[in-house]
Amino acid sequence: MQPSSRTKPSSSSASKTQRRVDASGGNPVELQDVSLKFVSYHDKQYSLKRAALDLVLRRVNPMPASDFWALSHINLTIAKGDRVGIVGHNGAGKSTLLRLLARIYPPTSGLVKIRGNVAPLIEMGAGFNPELSGLDNIMLNGAMLGLARKQMAEKVEGIFGFTGLQEFADLPLKYYSSGMYTRLAFAIATEIDPDILLIDESLGAGDAAFVEKAKARIRGLLDRSNVVVIVSHDMTSLREMCTRGLWMNKGQVVADGPMGEIIDGYLASSAAQAG
Amino acid sequence: MNTRTTSSPPHAEFFPAPRSPAAPARILATIVEDAEQLRRFWPVVQNMVAQELRVRYQRSVLGFFWTLLNPILMMATLTVVFSQLLGDDPKKYAITLFSGIVPWGLLSGCLTECAFCIIQNEGLIRKIFLPKLIFPLTRVLINLVTMVLSFAALFLLLAPLGASFKAQMLLLPLIIALFTVFSLGLGLIVATMNTFYRDCSHLVTVFLQAWYFATPILYPATRFQNVPWMLALNPAYPFIRLFQNVISDGVWPSLTLFLAAAGIATVSLGVGYAAFKSNEAKLIFRL
Repeated sequence: MQPSSRTKPSSSSASKTQRRVDASGGNPVELQDVSLKFVSYHDKQYSLKRAALDLVLRRVNPMPASDFWALSHINLTIAKGDRVGIVGHNGAGKSTLLRLLARIYPPTSGLVKIRGNVAPLIEMGAGFNPELSGLDNIMLNGAMLGLARKQMAEKVEGIFGFTGLQEFADLPLKYYSSGMYTRLAFAIATEIDPDILLIDESLGAGDAAFVEKAKARIRGLLDRSNVVVIVSHDMTSLREMCTRGLWMNKGQVVADGPMGEIIDGYLASSAAQAG
Repeated sequence: MNTRTTSSPPHAEFFPAPRSPAAPARILATIVEDAEQLRRFWPVVQNMVAQELRVRYQRSVLGFFWTLLNPILMMATLTVVFSQLLGDDPKKYAITLFSGIVPWGLLSGCLTECAFCIIQNEGLIRKIFLPKLIFPLTRVLINLVTMVLSFAALFLLLAPLGASFKAQMLLLPLIIALFTVFSLGLGLIVATMNTFYRDCSHLVTVFLQAWYFATPILYPATRFQNVPWMLALNPAYPFIRLFQNVISDGVWPSLTLFLAAAGIATVSLGVGYAAFKSNEAKLIFRL
C-alpha cells in the first residue's frame, strides 16, 4: 500500500514573488517519508530502583514496552490555500499527524518542513491557565503561539469582538463555561492569523450560532491564503469547508483527492465493513 | 530538494534539524536554534514566572513575609544552637550563616522543582509546542527571584546584628549569575533523569540533605583543615565561599576562586544541556 503523494501544480521553488509563506520558495507543509513510532511503556513509573534490580538480575527485557508505528512513510505536500480534511477510523493516525504538524511529536524518521506560524487547535484551551483572567490568558496563549506581547495586544480587541466575552475579560478562566472556553481558544487561534491552522474535532463545541461564525471565520482565513488542516468525523462540515481530503488508515495516507470523493469513498468503505 | 540556504522569513522549521556533518557545527546549530527559540518564547517564560510569583506573594499582603518566616526561624535556631556549639559570636555567626544558607535555598529549590518541571507540565507539552528548555528555566528563574528577595529582606533584618554594606558586594550579581548557571545545569540533569526514572526525586532530596551538611554553611570551612579533599570535591563550595567572602567576611575573593566557580558552572551547564537535549525528543513519550 503505497501512500500517494499528490503534487499540486504549485511552486516548489519558482514563484518567489508570491507573498507570505512562499517567500522561502516552498509549500507551507512538506512531509518526506515521515514515520512516527510510538513506544508505550507499560510502566510509566519506571524507577531507578527497578533499573538497578533489572541490571543486577540481568533481565533481558528490562522495560516492558510495546511499540507501534502511528505513522508510516507519509509523503505529503500541502500547498498554500489548501483546506485539508482528514478522515479515517479511530486510531488511524489522524490526530497524530496533526500533532506532528504542530511539532508536539518529533518524527522518528523522515523530514518535516513547516513554513510559517502554526496555530494548533488540537485540544481546546491548550495552554490556558484557569487561574488567570480571560485577558491574561489571551496574552499567555499569544506568547505560546510565538507572538510578541505588542502584537498580541493589538489583537485583543478583535478576539473579544468575535467571542463577545468582553465583559468577562477580568474573570478568571475557571469560571468560564466550556462554551466560552472554546470560543476564546478558537478566537485566539484564528485571530493571530496563522499561516497554518490545525483543528482537531473542535467544531462540535459551542452553540449553533457560534459554529456558523466559526466556519465563516475559517473561510475568511482561507481567503488570506493560509493552510487549514481539519480532523473530524463530521462529514458535513468537512465537505463544506475542505477542498482536499486525506483518508488515513493504519498510519498511512491511503487516498488523497478532492474532499467530496474522499468522503464518498470513506463512507462506502465504512458501510461495506459494517455490512 | 530544499536546502538550508532557502530558509528565510517567515521562519521555516525543519524537524529533525538539518544535519551538519561535523559534530561541532551540529552542536553550534543546536545552540543557535535553542537561543532563537528561547528568544521567541521568552514572553512565555516571563509570564510563567510572573504568574507563579503573583500566586505566591500577591494573594496575601503578608505573602512574602510568610515565605521569609521559614528562613528566619531556621536561622534563629541554627544561630542559637551552632554558635553555642562552635563557641562563635552569635552575631557574626548569624551573618555568616545568612550568606551561605540563602544561596543554598536557590540550589535546593532549583533541584527539587526542576525534578518535576517536565512531569507537571505534561498538559502543556502534550497539547502545544513549546521549547522544553523553558520549563527548567522557569523554575530556576523563580528561585532566583526568591533568592534575591530573601537576600534583600534578610539583609535588612540582620542590619541590627552588624550586617553592613561592603564594597565587595558589588560582585554579588556576578556571583549570583555563576551560581544560577551552576544550578540550572544540575536542574537540567535532574529534570531529564526524573522524567525517565520517577524515583529520582527522592534521591535528589536525600542527596541534597547530605550535600547541605557536607558544605561549610553551618560551620566554618576551617573545620575541614584535616580533610581538605572534602572541600576540593564539593562543587558547591567555591560558590558558597564566594558568597561568604563578599557578604560576611568582606574580603575580595581570589581570582582562583572565581575561576573555579566559573569552570564548575560551565561544566555543570554543559553537561546539563547535553543531557537534556539528547533526551528532549523522548521526553514526550515518557509522560
